[in-house]
Amino acid sequence: MQRTFSRRKLFGALFGAVTIISVDVSVANAQTAGGNLIVAQSSNPPSLDAMVTTSQASRNITMNIYETLYGFSEDIRPIPILAEDVEISQDGLTYRFLLRQGVMFHNGKEMTAEDVKASLDRYKQHGGTGTMLEPVKSIEVTGDYEVTLTFDEPSPTFLEAFASPRAPAVIIPAEEAAKEPNEIEFIGTGPYKFVEYVPDSHVTLERFEDYTPNENFEGIDGFGGRKTAYLDTVTFRVIPEPGAAVAALETGEIQMLEQIPVPTARRLASNENIKLYENMPWAFLTFVFNMKEAPSDNPKFREAVQVALNNEEVMGIATEGLFQLYHGWMYEGSPYDAGDIGQEYYNIADSERAKQLLAEAGYNNEPFSILTDSNIPEHGKAAIVIAEQLQAVGINATVNQVDWPTALNIRLQDSGWNGWTLMMGIEPYLGPVALISTLTGDQPHFRATDDQLDQLYEELISTDSEEGRKEVFARIQQRLYEFFGVVKLGETGLMQATRANVEGFKPFRFPRVYDVWLAE
Amino acid sequence: MVADTEIADVRAIKRELAKARRRGWARFMRRLAAHGSFKIGFALFLMIVMLALCANFVAPYDPNKSDYRSILMPPSLDHWFGTDGFGRDIFSRVIHGTRVSLGIGLAVVVATGVLGIFFGLLAGYVRWLDNLLMRIMDGLMAFPGVLLAIALAAALGPSALNAVIALTITFTPRTARVVRSSVLVVRELPYVEAALAVGAGHGRIIFRYILANSLSPLIVQLTFVFAVSILAEAILSFLGVGPPPPAPSLGNIIAEGRNYLQDAGWIALFPGLAIAAAVLGLNLMGDGLRDVTDPRMRSEREAG
Amino acid sequence: MIYFLLRRLASALPVLFVVSLVSFVIIAIVPGDVTAEIAGSDSTEIQRAEIRERLGLDRPLHEQALRWYGRLLQGDLGQSFLLNRPVTEAVLERLPVTLSLAGLALVLAIVLGVLLGILAATKHGTWLDQGSMSLALFGLSIPDFWFALVLISVFAVGLGWFPSGGYVPASENFWGWAKSMTLPALALAITQMGVIARMTRSAMLEVMSQDYIRTAKAKGMVRRTVIFKHALRNALIPIITVIGVMTGVLLGGAVVIESVFSLPGVGRLIIGAIQRRDYPIIQGGLLITAAVFVFVNIMVDLAYGWLDPRVRHGR
Repeated sequence: MQRTFSRRKLFGALFGAVTIISVDVSVANAQTAGGNLIVAQSSNPPSLDAMVTTSQASRNITMNIYETLYGFSEDIRPIPILAEDVEISQDGLTYRFLLRQGVMFHNGKEMTAEDVKASLDRYKQHGGTGTMLEPVKSIEVTGDYEVTLTFDEPSPTFLEAFASPRAPAVIIPAEEAAKEPNEIEFIGTGPYKFVEYVPDSHVTLERFEDYTPNENFEGIDGFGGRKTAYLDTVTFRVIPEPGAAVAALETGEIQMLEQIPVPTARRLASNENIKLYENMPWAFLTFVFNMKEAPSDNPKFREAVQVALNNEEVMGIATEGLFQLYHGWMYEGSPYDAGDIGQEYYNIADSERAKQLLAEAGYNNEPFSILTDSNIPEHGKAAIVIAEQLQAVGINATVNQVDWPTALNIRLQDSGWNGWTLMMGIEPYLGPVALISTLTGDQPHFRATDDQLDQLYEELISTDSEEGRKEVFARIQQRLYEFFGVVKLGETGLMQATRANVEGFKPFRFPRVYDVWLAE
Repeated sequence: MVADTEIADVRAIKRELAKARRRGWARFMRRLAAHGSFKIGFALFLMIVMLALCANFVAPYDPNKSDYRSILMPPSLDHWFGTDGFGRDIFSRVIHGTRVSLGIGLAVVVATGVLGIFFGLLAGYVRWLDNLLMRIMDGLMAFPGVLLAIALAAALGPSALNAVIALTITFTPRTARVVRSSVLVVRELPYVEAALAVGAGHGRIIFRYILANSLSPLIVQLTFVFAVSILAEAILSFLGVGPPPPAPSLGNIIAEGRNYLQDAGWIALFPGLAIAAAVLGLNLMGDGLRDVTDPRMRSEREAG
Repeated sequence: MIYFLLRRLASALPVLFVVSLVSFVIIAIVPGDVTAEIAGSDSTEIQRAEIRERLGLDRPLHEQALRWYGRLLQGDLGQSFLLNRPVTEAVLERLPVTLSLAGLALVLAIVLGVLLGILAATKHGTWLDQGSMSLALFGLSIPDFWFALVLISVFAVGLGWFPSGGYVPASENFWGWAKSMTLPALALAITQMGVIARMTRSAMLEVMSQDYIRTAKAKGMVRRTVIFKHALRNALIPIITVIGVMTGVLLGGAVVIESVFSLPGVGRLIIGAIQRRDYPIIQGGLLITAAVFVFVNIMVDLAYGWLDPRVRHGR
């Protein structure tokens, strides 16, 4: 209810009658091969060694170059990509991956089980989400096109974790897999191959003529499916200034903009040379407490913050109007959506109750330092609005805005910060396990562990039916609204744009430049 | 006996000098008051300073109060300079931001002045330190332009204090050089040699003679340091290493407005004009001061 | 002359030593390190410790410094943590962008500044004089990156005459290079144009009031000849003296302009390296940039000595 209200009020009104192009699979125009596409994004990919980095800027590019054995479909289920199939034993202790045959690497060699084993071994050592393969006891080549993973104990959510694009477990040639992180040649099996990377300038890809499409599918589906490269080359240009990037789109110097500021989208809505795409929901915007530092070590104090917040205002300003309000820790209507649990605490902006809770907490004007960074605009803006709202209920809130690496460094300390604004892009998309794993274990976001939450997480990953996991997740959401270690502020969207002659583009977790072509 | 007459001579010299200084001071002020561009610059700068000092009374809104209902409003009667992405009043932010930017500029001027005098005197007066100090200054000046300030501010982290530190380290070597070279000239002047000869204390010589005579090039230099600091603060903020939001500075208002160039150009426009006005005022004042104090430049003007 | 050159080159060494010390100070004060960038924001402490050990970041700073100087003596600036290539290569590859930006800006500043200065001096006391000087003063007073944003709005988006950013190597496409560099160079040049216009004007006025010019005029020489042959030539000498300083200002200012126009220059490389804690690039980038600047200054001194007989004989 809140969700539709806010969206209509804000965004609908802004765009008026203009239609935003939605995901539409049936495109009438005929595909044409050839042409060069230039995509702009705001930051450099820190690495093109796909498996070692979790950066979105890298993923945007690498997922067009490399492929994984399994990946997510459009509706976030694991589907085979380089694998033909997987056979899971009854006891859940062995996974036998059957590989597709005849798949070529960009270096002209065929992918075999040796390459897969070498890649997974490398992932275990250097992978960005290295813990994912921790339960795997051994990785064996059991045939030319067959790799078998064995486990000590069943791990029912393994395939979801394995398919995760967070730091994708991509398959590279065995000789590259022997190299240290960031020292490989960028060779994959994807529809585009790497040509050059000039940091601070661009990454160029070109069509891989010997690409082996996956015949098991009709068209593209999530990270997999049957992919076709139409374009001759694709260049990802790094343009840090949003104004300059928009200017380049308007003048036609670039054809695709990975993220376009919402006010600009509003202005360009009537421009017939430009198509806009709304990628919603894209991420959670959250506010994480440091549960080891006063005053945020006190649950009553944290509850006071939760009820003091006017989430609509925070989200409206932080996202420039492209947002949804929802209290749930999974997207509304998604399989794990836990319903109304916690709703009574969300977006209530009740300053009387907040003041009362502060009095109960014995709060005595101790400073409350909000850590944030300048690199991700939503973080900084949300922090500023939160500080203002907390000051209004009598909390001595200050904003400490630093750069991203510094923020990451500070938030790993037990002291020196009280609150931290964080966008969680990929975790809510991946599902409850990926999300809750960031809040449990040795290094939870909120520093102190919550024993009950840890137990619930263990229960979640060892429950083998989806029904059972849903029930556990509902209790997790219940628990999150009991100790208030983290506030869900809301959900953000991602506005993307292309020139009008770019056809076939469907917004996704990364800009898929295959199955995209340029109209005459 | 001989010493007595010398002392008498020195006293006479000092009297003359004091008189000359008073006369010089009066003439200096007269000249300055008659200098056209100095007057314009002074008036402009004074007006900006007054606006900044009275920011609390002049600004119609709280500069940090976001207003969710009036985001990105173009200039209007309610908001003369429009509003930003938080719905904050740009006019109020520019006025408060001017205070922050001028404050940073002033802090840099004071710190650079004190350190510049200290190191300049040390280098010019203590011969054995000269070489070492000047090599260090040269090293700091080998970083082109504001690169050193940017690098230091990026390393120290974004804050107003760190911006002051970074800019002070960047501009001190230049100031110290100015002081040093005038010390080198002044200490060769006959009356200073005379004072040295009669054994006047070093402290006395430094403050009565050397410093007093180094002051005018220093003031000219510091006026320009003030102007450059205001520009540099904007650069630091633009690169995200200046004074951080939410408190406005002219630089970080522009930095926030850069994302809305086509859609809400007013956000970046007005603080840019405010910087231009403040720097223009300071430049005009600096020109005037230099014309009046530097005889060589004066002759050029008179020639023209 | 050779002796002078060698002496200047030798005196540059302690300067560059101080530069390298400052780069260590920067590394010492910057919080955090490169590991989160390499391993991702959610990497474990064990993963990060492994990377630290591999890169030698677990050693005390003075030890890292000694090793760095040891390698420097062999002409090796080390390997970038993030770019997977030698620092020298990464910096030298970026240098043409920054140098061509600063160089073009210098040329623009001199040409426009001198023209403006001549105009003001020859029309001394008229509205043209005042207009040119106001323009020069305005150029001196506006923030150059802000002017760059204005240029993009007007000439790239509004009129579509120039690209809004990006770099085209001159070797690939000269016309494309010229187009991509025009707005950045203009934005960067505006301040120095003001400086030069004002210098030219006062130098011209001084020269024109001197006896030999008066004599030349009295002898009935054509006015244009007087201005260009005698007055201008003498007025240009002080401009050469400031080219060294000006190069510094332009190289420093290029950092911001590179970022506005998304040009892959050395400035952005260094700032990016500080932000991502890529220490070898910070050290190598600062050292090479400073070395270029020092070298330009030596060249300017040489040129000055060669051009101005007074200085030549004075030495």
